[in-house]
Amino acid sequence: MGGGTGRAPVTGDDGEAVLAAIRTRRVVRSMRPEPVDRPVLEAVLDAARWAPTAGNRHLQRFVVTDDPGVLRVLRAVSPGMLQHPAAAIVVCTDRALAAGYGFPPGAPGLFVDVGTATATILLAAHALGIGAGPVTSFSHAAVSVVLGLPEGLEPELIVCLGHPAPGGPAPMRGGRRLSWRDLTTWVPPQD
Amino acid sequence: MDGSTEESQAWVLDENEALELLGYLITAARTQVDEAAEYGPLRLLTVAHRLADRIVPRASAGTARFVTGPLAQVPELAVPRDGRAEYVARLDELCRAVAGLLSDRWAAGPDGPR
Ligand SMILES: Cc1cc2nc3c(=O)[nH]c(=O)nc-3n(C[C@H](O)[C@H](O)[C@H](O)COP(=O)(O)O)c2cc1C
Repeated sequence: MGGGTGRAPVTGDDGEAVLAAIRTRRVVRSMRPEPVDRPVLEAVLDAARWAPTAGNRHLQRFVVTDDPGVLRVLRAVSPGMLQHPAAAIVVCTDRALAAGYGFPPGAPGLFVDVGTATATILLAAHALGIGAGPVTSFSHAAVSVVLGLPEGLEPELIVCLGHPAPGGPAPMRGGRRLSWRDLTTWVPPQD
Repeated sequence: MDGSTEESQAWVLDENEALELLGYLITAARTQVDEAAEYGPLRLLTVAHRLADRIVPRASAGTARFVTGPLAQVPELAVPRDGRAEYVARLDELCRAVAGLLSDRWAAGPDGPR
């Protein structure tokens, strides 16, 4: 039993395009003020829906805004938000739903799912020519108030979206550039 | 006598601008509880840059020189891990520059009150 749905694998030029998108995506921290078209935002959200989730439970919910006033408040309570986004997708975990499935509050899968959704959103935005930057340095309590989130819906990560602009703060330096070999251990060891 | 001129007493922030910075400071106090210690200086530098950006259009010439000069040269996203000695040296340089600015405004120099 393969469990697949018979979708065709990515091949040829499509495969190269996917790999190129993965390699060329960078966090964008300088954005132009003009809005991101709604169909583009919807395409990004549709991509997020396809991110893998623990147990295929889909415990994440996406709260989206392109309202300038809401965005201004979001930024004011998010010290890690360097950019002035034109839209934001807040990746939330439905804690009540998770508890219903028996996930304990700190279950790693819940946080991994935030990561898979975020990575997918960042790549989808990049594929559509939109800049994106994740932010986890924000007050969860304050963001819940700004967005009017119901009890049990926990904001975990904000993805800022906007048309990339030149300039902005210099990216965080990561020391020397890492290759996949630096991050990988083979078992048994390879020569 | 503090040597202030009318220009140096000017309001440099409006209420909205001040509230933005207040929001940042309060929420950064909270986020920093859970974040790496090295993010502390980064957050403070970010808010210093934001404050500078806000005040520069209305600030006196001396203040504007400081925020567009020595402060602007310190990147807002740098962390000490990137090279501790260089990082500390840069911040010390910035501290000297701000002390010079404040002394020029408020303190008596060797030749008497300024
Ligand atoms: C979980 C997570 C949280 C992050 N939080 C922030 C943040 O609060 N603010 C920010 O500017 N960047 C944030 N980033 C972006 C990283 O700093 C960025 O991915 C890293 O510097 C590498 O840059 P690159 O993605 O362009 O290669 C976050 C990234 C991840 C994966």
